[in-house]
Amino acid sequence: MSLDYVKFSNGFEKFMPKEYRDMVEHGPFGKKVTVSQMGNFKEVLEEHPMCAGCAMTLFIRLAMVAFPNPEDTITVGTAGCGRLAISQAAIPFVYGNYGDQNGVASGLSRGLRLRFGDKPKDVVVMAGDGGTADIGFQQVLHSWFRKERFTTIMLDNEVYGNTGGQESGMTNRGAVLKMAPLGKKFEKMDMLQMAKVAGCAYVATVVPNNPRRVESVIKKAVLIAREVGSTYIQAYTSCNIEYAIPTDKVMEDAKAVENDRYQFTEYVSDEAKQYLTERYGYKEFLAKPAAPAAAIPGKA
Amino acid sequence: MYLVADISVEICAAKSCKLCTQYCPEANTIQYSDELGKDKGFKYGSAYVAVDRCKGCAQCVWVCDNMAKNYAIKMIMIDQLPKAALTENITYGEKSTTAVFASPSAG
Ligand SMILES: Cc1ncc(C[n+]2csc(CCOP(=O)(O)OP(=O)(O)O)c2C)c(N)n1
Ligand code: SF4
Ligand code: SF4
Ligand code: SF4
Repeated sequence: MSLDYVKFSNGFEKFMPKEYRDMVEHGPFGKKVTVSQMGNFKEVLEEHPMCAGCAMTLFIRLAMVAFPNPEDTITVGTAGCGRLAISQAAIPFVYGNYGDQNGVASGLSRGLRLRFGDKPKDVVVMAGDGGTADIGFQQVLHSWFRKERFTTIMLDNEVYGNTGGQESGMTNRGAVLKMAPLGKKFEKMDMLQMAKVAGCAYVATVVPNNPRRVESVIKKAVLIAREVGSTYIQAYTSCNIEYAIPTDKVMEDAKAVENDRYQFTEYVSDEAKQYLTERYGYKEFLAKPAAPAAAIPGKA
Repeated sequence: MYLVADISVEICAAKSCKLCTQYCPEANTIQYSDELGKDKGFKYGSAYVAVDRCKGCAQCVWVCDNMAKNYAIKMIMIDQLPKAALTENITYGEKSTTAVFASPSAG
């Protein structure tokens, strides 16, 4: 939870495993790293048991590179595949009961504010679509209505992946899964609209076939949650096992789904726009001067 | 035996786009070295795979073939690799990494 925890205790340096030494000396702590530098620095994520080629793994990897201050971040997770990787990183991870992640994160982020005052300590929830939209739904919505200042990320693989293929609220209508053999009878839930209605200051969809965009939305969401309010990212992170996607076609699938139901969308409240512009120098939200009418071709 | 990704330095170094390092689902697996290929006159280095971390998904092959259009990565049975980089033989510098390659059976 600070640069102090990623260093060697006196005299212990030579006994530490290589991965730990690399982390202390060449990790991202206290520096600014970007996805374009990947492969050149030691990432916080370590080896983990998630399936080969899983897009959720790639997303988690990118998210951890994108955290603006990894040394001052705590992740919160719940039952589901994602926790198998999120827990294997040099970032403290809190794991509660299935579905209580946004309740746990509410208490945690309030406690951190009491303890550390204005010093930013970022809380980031990453949970599956079942954990977020079904089992944890009530706690998720209430944390948003209360405007709790942390980031919620849904790892949407459109299925209960960890338990072998049950349908979730985020599964598409008609999808046939191992444990939904008749096909899902209801529409995919519109969690994006619900996040807006519940008052989130930032809502975005993203697909990991665009690493720079993943980086950009994570940074904005985490920064806005420091002061303005709740932020929500919904990421399509396919389950190649339950949807039988060959692992070398996972990015092809991501592109197809992006074009179909996961086009990039981003909602930023006015307050959040002002905050990002004034505090962090974001230029993209500066009001653009209106184009003079005569300059529009074809308009009289 | 199982498949792992193998990157041809000669083909990669001609492009050095670093795309595959951003798309491999596994962390600290496709590394980048500014030095690889310099002895053959290439300027910008090459990607290489820490084979002990590779899960053999071949996503990097798809990325190099379809996005980079450079066809530098092939899946190879681990005992057929001409040379392998292992995590314990990789050193991180300020701007790039360096690997000592060994024959995989020796690793
Ligand atoms: C209270 C409770 N009920 C059920 C389970 C069993 N369980 C573990 S993971 C999981 C499903 C996870 O699905 P999702 O949240 O969509 O995440 P995914 O595994 O797809 O990433 C279930 C039902 C549990 N751990 N706790
Ligand atoms: S079951 Fe699906 S979501 Fe879970 S790790 Fe495997 S591929 Fe990923
Ligand atoms: S995608 Fe291909 S060309 Fe680009 S860095 Fe990787 S191996 Fe080299
Ligand atoms: S095969 Fe998969 S795990 Fe191995 S280097 Fe390529 S993308 Fe990474």
